[in-house]
Amino acid sequence: MVSLLPLFSAFPEDRVVEGDLSLKPIWASVDGKEGGEAKFTEYRDLREAGGFYGRARLNLDTEKYFLDFKAGDFGYDTQYYKIGGGLWGIFKADLFYNEIPHNITFDARSTFSGAGHDTLVGTPNTNVAGWETFDYSVERRQYGGNLKIDVIRPFFAGLSFQREERDGIKPIGAAETSPGGIAFELPEPIHYVTNNLKVEAGYAKKPLFLSLGYIRSDFNNSDTTLNLPANFAAPNALSLPPDNNYQKGSFKGAVRLPFNSRFSTNIGFSTGESDTSAVSLITSGYSGKVNTQNYDLALTSNPVRFLDAKAYYKYYKRDNKSDDPLGVANIFLDYKISTLGGDLGLRLPLNFYLSGGYKYITTERHKEGETDPVEILPFNTDNIYFGNIKWSGLEFLDVKVGYENFDRNAKYRTFESEVNPAKRYYYAAQNKDTYKATVDIFPLENLNFGLEYRYKQIDYSDTTFGLRKDKRHEIGTSADYIIGKIAKVYGYGDFGWIKFNQLQSSGAGLPWEADQKENSWGYGIGTEVYIIPSKLTLIFQHDYLKSNGNVDYTLAGGLFGAGGLPAFPTANNENIDMARWDDYTLYTFKIKAVYNFTKCLSASIGYAFERFEYKDAQLGDYNFVPAGPPNSNAAFLTGAYKDQSYKANLVFGSLSFKY
Amino acid sequence: MKRRTFSLLFMVVTFSFILIPWNIARADSDYAGSEACKDCHEAYYKGFAQSVHGKKAVPGNPANREGCESCHGPGAQHIEKGGGKGVAIIVFGRKTDANTRDSKCLACHGEAKEFPFWNLSRHKSAQIACDNCHSIHAAVKGKDFLKAQEPDLCFGCHRNIRGQTNKQSHHPIREGKIKCSSCHNPMGTANVKAMIKADSVNELCYKCHAEKRGPYAFEHTPVPENCLYCHEIHGSNHSRLLVRKVPLLCQNCHNDGGHPGNPYTNLHSFRGSATSGKNRFFGRSCLNCHGNIHGSSLSPAFVR
Repeated sequence: MVSLLPLFSAFPEDRVVEGDLSLKPIWASVDGKEGGEAKFTEYRDLREAGGFYGRARLNLDTEKYFLDFKAGDFGYDTQYYKIGGGLWGIFKADLFYNEIPHNITFDARSTFSGAGHDTLVGTPNTNVAGWETFDYSVERRQYGGNLKIDVIRPFFAGLSFQREERDGIKPIGAAETSPGGIAFELPEPIHYVTNNLKVEAGYAKKPLFLSLGYIRSDFNNSDTTLNLPANFAAPNALSLPPDNNYQKGSFKGAVRLPFNSRFSTNIGFSTGESDTSAVSLITSGYSGKVNTQNYDLALTSNPVRFLDAKAYYKYYKRDNKSDDPLGVANIFLDYKISTLGGDLGLRLPLNFYLSGGYKYITTERHKEGETDPVEILPFNTDNIYFGNIKWSGLEFLDVKVGYENFDRNAKYRTFESEVNPAKRYYYAAQNKDTYKATVDIFPLENLNFGLEYRYKQIDYSDTTFGLRKDKRHEIGTSADYIIGKIAKVYGYGDFGWIKFNQLQSSGAGLPWEADQKENSWGYGIGTEVYIIPSKLTLIFQHDYLKSNGNVDYTLAGGLFGAGGLPAFPTANNENIDMARWDDYTLYTFKIKAVYNFTKCLSASIGYAFERFEYKDAQLGDYNFVPAGPPNSNAAFLTGAYKDQSYKANLVFGSLSFKY
Repeated sequence: MKRRTFSLLFMVVTFSFILIPWNIARADSDYAGSEACKDCHEAYYKGFAQSVHGKKAVPGNPANREGCESCHGPGAQHIEKGGGKGVAIIVFGRKTDANTRDSKCLACHGEAKEFPFWNLSRHKSAQIACDNCHSIHAAVKGKDFLKAQEPDLCFGCHRNIRGQTNKQSHHPIREGKIKCSSCHNPMGTANVKAMIKADSVNELCYKCHAEKRGPYAFEHTPVPENCLYCHEIHGSNHSRLLVRKVPLLCQNCHNDGGHPGNPYTNLHSFRGSATSGKNRFFGRSCLNCHGNIHGSSLSPAFVR
């Protein structure tokens, strides 16, 4: 940024230069095991010893030119840099660099060596202490630039390029034999590069907007197979994402029409191709290709002040054109989705606004090559009705209520699929009701309060086996109050209750039922107290989040003693339920004092505490090599998502200079 | 006769709605100039002059037209009447209906390349006007004139989404690495409902998750249709943003004979007393074996 300073003098007197520089030292003490440390730093780079985090920002603005620069977290896995500038009315350009980490579990372990590479070697052994350790973590590094040209008005053009490099390791699984056998959790190497190019040019002047766009995206994976040790049945390799490329051409247009109306369209064609030639074990000559088409047409009109109208149509088609000469990969999904809809909005007396609409959607799916009549997918027709009413009759109050009904019909195309009692929820017939109500109150200019409630219920009416009910309540509230020059107080609260019901048929044909429930609630409160106005501010923030899930099972009597379950009465419908189902509590607390020495120079010091407690039936009492008869219970695990609980104390400060 | 009277009355009423506001605007065409506004509203004027709207280099900018009165309407009468909030002048806020407020912005930005589809926006349908999110005079830093930074600005109304993004499995939204506007264009897209920046949900997700794009030799049927069948995109209590937890999520569809249909209960956990099938429950459950669940080049069961 120092190198930019000479530029200041190059600009005329009316320039505005402002920005800031800050340095924030953080000391952290994290009490957590492998998963806990990773969860604490899930999207941040903050290890035990802490560090110094810098940030810089500069805005230079003149009558003709501008220059913006921002950067932060120098040298850390979250660092970012962006410099942009341009000539007003002529062009804008920027260059950027950004890193995003995603930490999953530190010090995971594998019975094989070679984590992070495309070949795993070794023989499975149960000496976990001697296993190779590695981190489940993926880092994205994104860089690129954008250019927008305005000088050719009413024409315009834009170009953007982004390259993303992704490196790291994430968990993947494979069965030792197929099907069944010992389960192996494995480290999947991530070495991806994606290059994206976007070009757009158009014309924008009343009454017309026209734009042509082109996108090209190339994805390259350095490791398209993960070679497995000899104990795995053939093929002893795991396929990883193949290289692919994607191209899309698009047209957008809008034109103003009489009666304050507007016609808009969006048309796009894309082709995506994958290259499996690097997947050494594929011998079928498979060549992947998918085309899509999209057409959006819309007419909106506001002919008189009290009426808003909208009619629209959308057609989206996926056409799988993959080539499979030997018929190995013989099921390709094609689908077509058509949507026709209309909305009306009426501005009524007494500050009521009534809106509503209807949408009709048809979905046609074809699984090319599918020979099993049960697996022939149905066509769906959806009828959606919705209505909202908003009242703003009082200066300090807005009230809104709404309702939507979604009714899906599934038209099965074979007798076998129609009579099959098992229905998959994504295409099964369903009826969904959604109710929502919102109240926003602002009795004073400096006091706001909002409350929102939503209720949703889905009934899968034709489903005997599968997901049958989905019911949820959500409440959200928020408030803030500014008490003159003394303090600002704010807070929020969220509550969510979800219940799913599913009925299943076991492998032996006996029924069982599961009711999953999730209760989540959270709140946050904070205050800024201006102890010495414009000089000393004390900031306090506390957030709390809790989720409590469980599964209530009801099994037919014959299932006890089968499928590995102990026989009744050792096992019964009371002791098989799951009490811990992704249960967690997140507690955070922060206190900070900010002192402004001058208008330009300020410093802060603070303390924060975070506690995350996580309990789950699938991860509790974790065992890397669970005991059990081979080919039935056995697994070689790596510790992914294990022990995510943590406690952390942070002491931090900052020194900031504004100019 | 009655029918003719009714028709006449209908036409008069309809044209009144269209013409009356237009006539009022025409009758009041008496501009005072921005310098006159500055006399009483210096702070606002200064903010305007330093903003993009105040740059004369930008063709069609308010600075090249009627300045403050480009948005607030002619101000001579406002001055004559001694000023006051809303006295013979257009003010932005709840008292003025959303379409009127929008019309002032759209007079210049109606064909803007950044948001040609405002007319399709769900925000517009919900009577959310430009000045609900943008403030010309009191914006936070930045050239978008936003009243607050994302995501707090969006969470002001979308409280349920705030609740979801706070859940333990979430995209890095509250960490500031992804913005709401990374995926949505609040000014409207051809996608009428969710205003996503793509023609389909999957096309949007593949922008960051290009490895899932395939096409794969062996497709998992719901995957190429809609990522949202299995993922709760704003946040979930379950890892990997899943809508429900595995194995029950998988069993919602896979009810066929053999192991997918069997119940895996608390007794199948690490210390549970079940004697077989436990590796289909503990750890990452179904994914312990079916690792390539988004698609595979080698295995129709996604185990290779």
